[in-house]
Amino acid sequence: MSLATLVQSLADNKQLLGLRYAEWCTAAPTLEADIAGAAMGLDDLGHSRVLHGSLRELGEADAERDPTSPEHYLNVAYLDQPWSNWNQFVAANAVLDTAFTLMIEALANGKVEVLRSRLRKMLQEEHYHYLHGRSWLRQGGGNPEVGRAFEEAVEWFGPEGGEVDQFHKAGQLTAGVADLRSSLGERVAIAAPPVPADWARWDPRRRRTRPGGIDARTFEMLRGLEEKRYMPAGGERKDS
Amino acid sequence: MASFSRVHQQVRQYEVFARKAREEPLRQVGSVVAPDDDLAQAYARATYDEERWVELVIVPSEAVIRLWAPGEDGSGSG
Repeated sequence: MSLATLVQSLADNKQLLGLRYAEWCTAAPTLEADIAGAAMGLDDLGHSRVLHGSLRELGEADAERDPTSPEHYLNVAYLDQPWSNWNQFVAANAVLDTAFTLMIEALANGKVEVLRSRLRKMLQEEHYHYLHGRSWLRQGGGNPEVGRAFEEAVEWFGPEGGEVDQFHKAGQLTAGVADLRSSLGERVAIAAPPVPADWARWDPRRRRTRPGGIDARTFEMLRGLEEKRYMPAGGERKDS
Repeated sequence: MASFSRVHQQVRQYEVFARKAREEPLRQVGSVVAPDDDLAQAYARATYDEERWVELVIVPSEAVIRLWAPGEDGSGSG
């Protein structure tokens, strides 16, 4: 795996996280949370664009990428399906968004110039995602979705001694797997879950153990096929 | 009539102040309601970030000490 594939995975996750936030922007428990959901969704879609845009400078992107298959998206399984309850939103916001931010920090402080210069602004915006997630996590008594979000974040960081640790040794990342795991635990004030023993099932390209992929409706929307359904008959654009 | 259920047990109101240039004074641009400082910051940024402020601050409304209000003369005599 190359550093470009890791950035591709970050970009794909950010795009889906932005979409999932946006799906909740009229369904959150308060109007303020609706607005914050919309703002965070816009942020993450913007971050995804910047990350995708950095891939060219990083060298070859994922050669195995097949744009016609939902499995070509390098996203965590947590983002495969729309969320059916607010706890899922909060756990993603507090844990997964923070995990992606930790990786962005490690890249932005690393020695790859294109990432050093382009990723800085994301960290300013992500600070407010963190405050939002952390506060909602404190509301009420316990969030049953946090365990799964944390587990998937740890899987996404990857196994110790793997490529992330190699990028760390090479100075492309300023944190290794152990640092990323402990920082995530500290930021969300939760003890790290047991590390999955079965790395044999882990897909190094998609950085996850669970099979499956994005739901069909979301995938069609991402490819622009969903929008075409609403195009008036004969509305195909004709270039003269 | 719509009925509303309370989402947070306790909330505070925060006044939002901003300015567009260093030489301008801060002015009040609105308020947000949130259960704690973290969420108040996230809400203030999401709601009021459309303009290019050089500074954006929030203050718990209860921390504001009002000397007089509209309709009062401020002399302390009436």
